[in-house]
Amino acid sequence: MSNPALLLLQDLTGGTELVDWEWLGENFWEDILPALQGHIFLSSISVAIALIIALPVGILSARYRKAYPPVTFVTGILYSIPSLALFAILISIPGVAIGPSPVIIALVAYSLLILIRNTVAGLDSVPPETKDAARGMGLTDRQILFRVELPLALPIIVAGIRIATVTIIGIATIGAYINGGGLGTLIFDGIQRQFPTMIIAGAVLATAMAIVADLLLLALERYLRPWARVRRT
Amino acid sequence: MIEFRQVSKTYPGSDKPVVEDLSFEVLEGEICVLVGPSGCGKTTSMRMVNRLIEITEGEILIDGEPNTAMSGTQLRRKIGYAIQQIGLFPHRTIADNIGTVPNLLGWDRGRIKSRVDELLDTVGLSPDEYRNRYPAELSGGQQQRVGVARALAADPPIMLMDEPFGAVDPITREGLQDEFLRIQQDIKKTIVFVTHDIDEAIKMGDKIAILKQGGVLAQYDTPENILSEPDSEFVSSFVGGDRVLKRLSLTRVGEMDLEPANGGTDGLLRIDEGLTVKDALSELIGSGHSRAVVEKDGENGLLTFEAIEDLMGGASGEPSNGGESSA
Amino acid sequence: MLYKILEVYARPDFPEKLRQHVLLSLVALLVAIAIAMPVALMIRNSRLGALIAINIGNIGRAVPSLAILALALPFFGIGFGSALVALTALAIPPILINASTGLREVDKGVIDAARGMGLSGGQILARIQLPIAAPVIFAGIRTSAVQTVASATLATFIGGGGLGDLIVEGYSRRGPEILLAGALAVAILAIITEIGFGVLERAFTPKGLKIAQKRRK
Ligand SMILES: Nc1ncnc2c1ncn2[C@@H]1O[C@H](COP(=O)(O)OP(=O)(O)O)[C@@H](O)[C@H]1O
Ligand SMILES: [Mg+2]
Repeated sequence: MSNPALLLLQDLTGGTELVDWEWLGENFWEDILPALQGHIFLSSISVAIALIIALPVGILSARYRKAYPPVTFVTGILYSIPSLALFAILISIPGVAIGPSPVIIALVAYSLLILIRNTVAGLDSVPPETKDAARGMGLTDRQILFRVELPLALPIIVAGIRIATVTIIGIATIGAYINGGGLGTLIFDGIQRQFPTMIIAGAVLATAMAIVADLLLLALERYLRPWARVRRT
Repeated sequence: MIEFRQVSKTYPGSDKPVVEDLSFEVLEGEICVLVGPSGCGKTTSMRMVNRLIEITEGEILIDGEPNTAMSGTQLRRKIGYAIQQIGLFPHRTIADNIGTVPNLLGWDRGRIKSRVDELLDTVGLSPDEYRNRYPAELSGGQQQRVGVARALAADPPIMLMDEPFGAVDPITREGLQDEFLRIQQDIKKTIVFVTHDIDEAIKMGDKIAILKQGGVLAQYDTPENILSEPDSEFVSSFVGGDRVLKRLSLTRVGEMDLEPANGGTDGLLRIDEGLTVKDALSELIGSGHSRAVVEKDGENGLLTFEAIEDLMGGASGEPSNGGESSA
Repeated sequence: MLYKILEVYARPDFPEKLRQHVLLSLVALLVAIAIAMPVALMIRNSRLGALIAINIGNIGRAVPSLAILALALPFFGIGFGSALVALTALAIPPILINASTGLREVDKGVIDAARGMGLSGGQILARIQLPIAAPVIFAGIRTSAVQTVASATLATFIGGGGLGDLIVEGYSRRGPEILLAGALAVAILAIITEIGFGVLERAFTPKGLKIAQKRRK
């Protein structure tokens, strides 16, 4: 390795070898766009599935407090398993390794802890006197849940979706290693071919996608926050 | 003891002063209350004394010396400091909290420990029960007491108190006020006390400095004089339309010169000598009587509406003050 | 299968892979702490500084770890050192974010009281801010450590070694026992890190704060 600082300087000033704009133009429709679409698909379907699981589990954990510690224990272990390892374990299980399904399963597994934790925290943040008032007005438990608790918990749940989404977009790149598709394909091909342009294209798009998703969900969270402000004062 | 000399403060990035040309003197052993509407510069004025905020113009003298004569930290170790947020250190025990300044001053352990216990006693918390607790294990009122004890720890001659009883419910607050006035009778600190509550100011202050918006001193005098002779429209509206009644609350019936009740006092309303004249008047009116008997030093005095009127007429010259009368 | 997996652990190169993995993670974490903590301390009283640090941290978190490792390649080439630089960059954001928010979130009244009693800036930092922020700072270090152990698995893609080598070897040679052996070793290492740092976090939480946390619940 020669002096990395010098190399960096040369790359930043010389510029031409690092990003091959011509390649980007030529391969946009064929390689880059499909990778981006694949990535959006992988991430959004995973968050959606994770939400379908996490919301009921979170609601039940908030109700039946005894269930909460084991739920966080299991999802916590899932969360701390390095993604490449989890992918490896999943493709070793016969019947799972079909198309992108191991990647989606792993991404769902990573989101569960964050989503469940924020659902419970959101429901916990609803003041008991508010629920009491609702009950006093004759709302049923189900009505209280859907009309009072969930709307009030929503900003915190959305905050959880934000963190989960950003995490998942990052991890999904690794899924390309086990043929899950997405922007990781560009990165892995770039490594293989020693072609920085592909690495940078994949990295920049994945980062941009994470930031855009983060900002969109942040806007949603802000929009939902008047509830929270009313609650606090 | 503490003298403000034409003190002004303008915060950086603003062209309007929040304290303007403020001059007054706090005498040794007195409680001077800074009172006024929110945002009028009370806290800023107080914090310039121990230089948590630096003065823009003018100076503050302590014992005749400008408070810039020593470093800010040294100065602050000699001045007790208690605030509304209390600011107890959550990770330290009550004993450690109270011992903060003695510790900084290098007292030895034994001396700190006995001082902590003494102070816990003073503020009405049993040392054995509380010294090893953490702030989270105390109620709001108890935390306020510890805050005051901590400010008193190194026995500083001067105390700065910014709404020190502001964070508790009204009943607890009254208790803490009474207790603090009792303590002050022994310790005789020179105190700058900030509040936005005129009733608290009247009760606690030997002197009251009323500030108006922009940190301008509207009036500086005893509570009695401020109530009897407010010298501007602003002051009279700030002290409120019931200032006559407020004056009555400065005096207790036991302190009045009452005519002896000769002869039969049976059947007459009896009023405790410890009541304020305001409360006594309220009882009197409520009972439908025009006279009541007050027993003091074994003798019966006669409380009448006339006696109360005399008090209002003749009291303005008397050096009566809130601190002593309500203790 | 289990026997085959254990056989992989008996291979002569396994201890070396494990050593590389731990070394990569540990050095990256320590260097990240050495960079992030002074920065957090420097900006602890500056609103702008904190804003900048937190935003940089957040953007840093949005860059996929695979991307950071891959990006090290054109700049620093192939190998352990390159992986180390990338992992260090990855380890910084959680520590920086937690340390600067932890220090800033110390109650203003507590700081004001400390100043008012005549504690100097250094004393306030050492006796008040750091102990009170310690649990939040350690939570950041824990997040960072677990994440670094996980990302170190990816070092294999840029020739950085570590346990990821086994996963790649098993995958490309269709050796499920090697693949699983690598995956399990990494998973166990990550969980040990998580639990270990959790213990550390609790040990560094002052008793008074634990009581306060419990009261709040
Ligand atoms: N650090 C500061 N920087 C700028 N302005 C301040 C600062 N602190 C207080 N002020 C302003 O100075 C004025 C007086 O504040 P303060 O002394 O806290 O009032 P009070 O204690 O009487 O409510 C207010 O208008 C407030 O907004
Ligand atoms: Mg104030």
